Amino acid sequence: MNRQRPHIAFATALLITLASVASLAQQPLDRTKAPTPGANPKLTVPAWTTQQLSNGATLIVSQRRGLPLVSFNITLVGGSNQFEPAGKRGVAALTASMLTEGTKSKTGDQLSDALQLLGTNINAGVGGEEGSIGFVSTRKNFDATLAILADMMLNSTFPADALDRLRARTLVNLTQAKDQPVAIGGQVFAKILYGADHPYGQRTTEASVKAITRDDVVAFSKTYFQPGRAIITVVGDVTPLSAKASVEKGLAAWTKGGEKPAFDYTKLPELQTAKIYLVDKPGAAQSVFNIGLPGPPRNTPDYFAIQVMNTILGGMFQSRLNANIREQKGYSYGVNSGFTYGKGPGAFRAGGSIFSGKTDAALVEFMKELNGIVGERPITDEEIKVAKDSLIQSLPQRFASVNATSNAITSLVVQGLPNDYYQTYANNIAAVTKEDLMRVAKRYVDIKHLAIVIVGDRAKIEEPLKATGIAPITHIDIEGNPVSGGSAPSSSN
Amino acid sequence: MTNRRRVLPALALVLTLCCALQPVWGQNGSANSISIPFETYKLPNGLTVILSVDHAVPTVAVNVWYHVGSKNEMPGRTGFAHLFEHVMFTGSGHIPYGTHDKLTEGVGGSNNGSTTNDRTNYYETIPSNYLESALWLESDRMGFLLDTLDLEKLNAQREVVKNERRQSYDNQPYGRVSEILAAAMYPKGHPYSWPVIGSMTDLSEASQEDVKAFFRLYYAPNNATLGVVGDFDPVIAKKLIARYFTDLPQGKTVERPSVALGKLEMSKRLVYEDAVQVPRLYIQWPTVGFKRDDDYPLSVMSSILSGSRTARLTKALVYDSQLASQVGAFQNSAEDVGVFQVTVVPRPEHTLTELEAAVDQVIQKFIAEGPTAEELQKAKSGLELSFLRGLESNLGKANQLISGSMFYGNPGQFRTDYQKTLAVTAADVKRVAAMYLVRSRIVLSVVPKGKKDKASKAPESETVTMLPATPGGRS
Repeated sequence: MNRQRPHIAFATALLITLASVASLAQQPLDRTKAPTPGANPKLTVPAWTTQQLSNGATLIVSQRRGLPLVSFNITLVGGSNQFEPAGKRGVAALTASMLTEGTKSKTGDQLSDALQLLGTNINAGVGGEEGSIGFVSTRKNFDATLAILADMMLNSTFPADALDRLRARTLVNLTQAKDQPVAIGGQVFAKILYGADHPYGQRTTEASVKAITRDDVVAFSKTYFQPGRAIITVVGDVTPLSAKASVEKGLAAWTKGGEKPAFDYTKLPELQTAKIYLVDKPGAAQSVFNIGLPGPPRNTPDYFAIQVMNTILGGMFQSRLNANIREQKGYSYGVNSGFTYGKGPGAFRAGGSIFSGKTDAALVEFMKELNGIVGERPITDEEIKVAKDSLIQSLPQRFASVNATSNAITSLVVQGLPNDYYQTYANNIAAVTKEDLMRVAKRYVDIKHLAIVIVGDRAKIEEPLKATGIAPITHIDIEGNPVSGGSAPSSSN
Repeated sequence: MTNRRRVLPALALVLTLCCALQPVWGQNGSANSISIPFETYKLPNGLTVILSVDHAVPTVAVNVWYHVGSKNEMPGRTGFAHLFEHVMFTGSGHIPYGTHDKLTEGVGGSNNGSTTNDRTNYYETIPSNYLESALWLESDRMGFLLDTLDLEKLNAQREVVKNERRQSYDNQPYGRVSEILAAAMYPKGHPYSWPVIGSMTDLSEASQEDVKAFFRLYYAPNNATLGVVGDFDPVIAKKLIARYFTDLPQGKTVERPSVALGKLEMSKRLVYEDAVQVPRLYIQWPTVGFKRDDDYPLSVMSSILSGSRTARLTKALVYDSQLASQVGAFQNSAEDVGVFQVTVVPRPEHTLTELEAAVDQVIQKFIAEGPTAEELQKAKSGLELSFLRGLESNLGKANQLISGSMFYGNPGQFRTDYQKTLAVTAADVKRVAAMYLVRSRIVLSVVPKGKKDKASKAPESETVTMLPATPGGRS
């Protein structure tokens, strides 16, 4: 097997570059001077077709020559936040796992064996705002794998004993997460920002998992896996015509139904003045930081400016946060910042794991950099240039594999972005001004309302944190609930 | 393996628990179709160069492997190979600190390094017009790193490494298991007995001269392989490589003393108390490294025992008896040594003693009957797809080609590996099961603090209290 590449373009490039090599050889090497890069390579965005299937699903096909691979994915718009009943958090994930447990014609073992012999694996999962079921296969095994996927999605029998086994596994995982300071930090941060009533603040708990019945799973499956909210993306060694034929045949039994849900989220809780929320983890070698507040949805017109701003603040290795806290101060193995984007108010978050003995000093530096980006340390032209170059030129990586390409295209449809998004991306990033950066920093890095969640050894870090005077300290447990009393524990082990 | 940047904890967990970790080899479905076009040559100073063109995406991976890992360190001076992985990003003779990141991540690319027991690698993926910049960066740190390495830089990176250790080992549930097992598996002073990240005491005590001497010996062109894979013109690349690397002086020849395989005189039964709520059981047998042919059937055996729901251990423990919530089995092989490891996470109502007995029962049966034809076929069926998917990444291809070149003197080793894997028979697997899984072994129970009685066969288990700060077995 060979990768087929066009040879003509290559030959032309060779002629031009041979000339430059000849001149290059004559210059003495000066190692102090960085080589001058040639012109940026032209971005080639893969083309794709969009078709409507008779069952209401959208079919996207992008042909990619070279390797005999096909990526197939069904994305369902809407996720656990839209479709899980109250008190049953976790039913979406359990249902996705249950798809491997047997169909009307095959046991779970038979499904597994069939997939192993095809050399592939079907992955199903449901996230907060979308779900997916899909695989990557060789070209020759595409139809056979798709047939198994269809059987799993449409004919699963959801055996009760399998549900009990998966429930038990989920409970063990939840217990293990309680020992994991990073997991605790993430959960508590969400709870503080969004509260228990907002889906972004909710999670799967022991109680919710125990409350889920087989009927819940069957009902979820029926409601959720509907073509009316589905985007089917096929990328790889296929043509739009052959892909459509395969999909129409493979998913013939998937009949019309469902629609894209509304994303109406309940109102956010009132923003609180900045506070330190301290979760005690006796004996912890590090303190896990999550600092932030709710931010904008993905469709904000500020998106490009925010991306540039965050790249400067904490999106890269040499961004302000990591350059200071890891590289200059040596307090951490790495810190960063980012925005979570979805249909609702995803979070702005800065954080990382900090050596316990430097918890207070690190908080001072975090605050210095956050105050810096909103105005105390003006953004330089050089910072803007590097951030923009980095964002623009990393675009080709989004098309580096069949799976990456599938994700890149599908996300446009899920997020309602224009078809020429990638073609216009560079211009949109380039158009961001310094004033834009100042404006979005002030608006979204809202210093007065930051939640500062720290999971660490309270006996060691509480007094030093208090002494910084940065914000008052509230004690919470690993569920994010206030700890009554709030007196310091006597010792750590 | 440790990295300069962060590894996602979730990934780390998956690796510890459940992956049948395949050695880095080329894999494919039919012998004729596996192909990565490449050319290879040596510069006069001994630098091995491998080029492989692929214009699919306008990016290039530049990847330099040095044949030095933690096993080349001396007892009392451990952690140097990994420390260099950090120091190498702090600027070199002609290039100030920060330039490396700016010319990689700052132009839309990425960079990182990684260290194992056997080798260290440094790489960047960049837009194709930055190939020359990457070669400039790599050649300067190969030739001129020590020119600007002072105590201040060294100390700053020592602190970062200590934080890496806190994050990846100390503050991580089950994070110390790999070093406990290595210290128990190998005798004191054995090159594989200390963790890749090394001892923090050693790092603190190392003098500037210790560190520099290590670099002079192991980071010379004759101990390195440079891979360039992706969207470039090979004629130009060769000229550029000659320009930037030819004048770097050849170093001393690196001696490679033979390393003894792991061998336990007697089985060891250990218990370690950790900040966890769920206990875990680890069983490890000494096997062979990836250069021995038994590595192929051992790897095939790992996917027959775990990984899919019909794999033997998974089916018996997770599905049928439901004693376990998760189980993993894998052959973990390095250049000179290897171990076969089974990891089990129990369901709350079951003990590690029960789990050990259940694992043994499955393994005894497997040793007696060997794999079925279908089990063997299933274990090999995924090879073609994973080989093809590996071809989608320039960096992945570079790693395969360089690994073959460094360890076997043949960048095309992936083909041999593939053929030898496909050639594994049921009798081969049965033979290695009967040969290695009956040996003296280590059984390690990790239990919650104060719950030593939860260990498998607790009365017979020896407590692992504190690991020695300096390398060596606990023997």
